[in-house]
Amino acid sequence: LASSPALLFLTGAATGLVGSLLGLGGGVLLVPLLTLALGVPIRTAIAASLVSVIASASASATVNLRKGLVNMRLGLVLEVATSIGGLSGGLASSLLSERQLYAAFALVMAAMGAAMALRSGTRNVIADLSVDPGRLGGRLQEGATTFVYRVRRLSLGLAASLLAGAVSGLLGVGGGIVKVPVLNTFCGVPIRVAAATSTFMIGVTAAASSILYYARGEIALPLTAAICLGALPASLLGARLSDRVKARSLKVLMALLLVAVALQMTARAL
Amino acid sequence: VSEPRLHQTIEAVLALGLLASAALLACGLLLPDESVLRAGVLLLMLTPAARVVVLSVGLLLERDWLFGSISLWILGVLLGSLVLALRA
Repeated sequence: LASSPALLFLTGAATGLVGSLLGLGGGVLLVPLLTLALGVPIRTAIAASLVSVIASASASATVNLRKGLVNMRLGLVLEVATSIGGLSGGLASSLLSERQLYAAFALVMAAMGAAMALRSGTRNVIADLSVDPGRLGGRLQEGATTFVYRVRRLSLGLAASLLAGAVSGLLGVGGGIVKVPVLNTFCGVPIRVAAATSTFMIGVTAAASSILYYARGEIALPLTAAICLGALPASLLGARLSDRVKARSLKVLMALLLVAVALQMTARAL
Repeated sequence: VSEPRLHQTIEAVLALGLLASAALLACGLLLPDESVLRAGVLLLMLTPAARVVVLSVGLLLERDWLFGSISLWILGVLLGSLVLALRA
């Protein structure tokens, strides 16, 4: 906790920027940075990350809403699962020891890293505009062209959202890293819509669990404030720039990073 | 309420909540004052909940009963977590 506010501000900014560029909450990077690099206890890091995830996801959501990327109805349906998951994760976290939290984080990170590395580059859009997108599908404007997409395998999306919520509440991450690949690969949602819709949901997921951390007195106020103040403007910037960045190279980098962090977290757990 | 209008309202609610909580967090750090920091963090946590309220009202005004009630249900989950938090 001895870290200076300036360092925490920069940490929040860096993770917020990378997170919103990738269309994820920055929590997957923030928790390991705080614990492994700055020596913050894992419980404090998780609580701070949850609050910062609310800030960065809400900031990104404002940009994505304007870009017309958020599928609000799909988000609402999946939010039913993520909010329940978030609530349960928030309750469960108080039952785990520090060592178990490190182990859980390592496991989730390794799985996500592998999923990200293996993820297929399928495009889920249909150029034929006469196709009915259904109640949950939608239309997506890319350049001058409009595409249609339909949502498939909703039950799988709901299951992934429940898991994402639980992971979020337990480990202080947004859960986008679980939802986005599933929505994109299995449910037919275009990647940019999947990321934007996931970000739209994350604020609510994190709110459901962060209030429990708050009640338990686990939110370190000055630390959390400095991180959030860094994450907010950086996420706005990241969400705005996200169209211009080559997603593929960032994803590979992210996958490598996740695996590296998973290894370090494992070492802590042992 | 039309769909783009609802998007705009939600965007405004989020932006307002974020701005106000950022102002409180910055003041709380500079002064430094723990109660101001506490208010900033709480306001930040309430921002997504306010979004759910606005979305529920908007959908119900659109007479979209299915999605309106889904949205109300989510509000119920958030209230549930608040109740659990208060009991802790």
